[in-house]
Amino acid sequence: MIERIIQEDLIKLNIEASDWKDAVKKSAQPLVDDNYITDNYVSEIINSVNEYGPYFVIAPHVALAHAPSEAGAESLAMGISTLRPAIKFNNADNDPVSYVFTLSAPDSDSHLKAMQELVGLLSGDEFYKVLDEAQSPEEILQFIKDSVLNKKIS
Amino acid sequence: MVKALVACRAGVGSSLMLKIKLNEVISEHKLPVQVEHSSLDGLPSFDGPIIVSLSDVAEELKEQGIKKEVVGIKNILDKDEIYTKLSAALKNIGEE
Repeated sequence: MIERIIQEDLIKLNIEASDWKDAVKKSAQPLVDDNYITDNYVSEIINSVNEYGPYFVIAPHVALAHAPSEAGAESLAMGISTLRPAIKFNNADNDPVSYVFTLSAPDSDSHLKAMQELVGLLSGDEFYKVLDEAQSPEEILQFIKDSVLNKKIS
Repeated sequence: MVKALVACRAGVGSSLMLKIKLNEVISEHKLPVQVEHSSLDGLPSFDGPIIVSLSDVAEELKEQGIKKEVVGIKNILDKDEIYTKLSAALKNIGEE
């Protein structure tokens, strides 16, 4: 499932960002360009952090950038960005962030399986190594496909 | 069974991932907990005793003086952290 919602052009490697806002914007831009999310959705992610704190830095070095569906999640998709250098999101426990997953979920349950697979990927060590060392988006997508198809993750 | 609500700001991302990991912990340790998830808007209608969220959201809920056992998780992939904090919450409400 997850391999179907991540497209090669939604994966960006070694993004240079000036701060967390810039990192969120640059990570989300491919999803805006392909009409998965609206500009408003991206603004809403940033506004929410200003209001509620960095609530989507979910694990060490990992951010799951997302906003409520009604902010402008048009169709189901996920982008992956790696940040070089890593960027502080002001989350004391999990900073700095190196990996940003931008989620567009138009409803509350169609992405359940994909999120389960993402949890599986993020729970092992190998995925991070691939994210760090990949020379191209294809390599990352291929790793995800292999992991899902070989049921290395559940 | 004790009801626990996993809540995050949007209700579609962090809370869903946290719910997935929480359910792994609950089944591994056979804890008497039934998990629901929603956005923060779902809090007022939730009638169970435990709220689970990311730590920063949890701090905010505690500051607001919510009358529930609030569990804040720093690393949603860390099953030990989830187990330790969920067990403590169960003890606090007299369930374990």
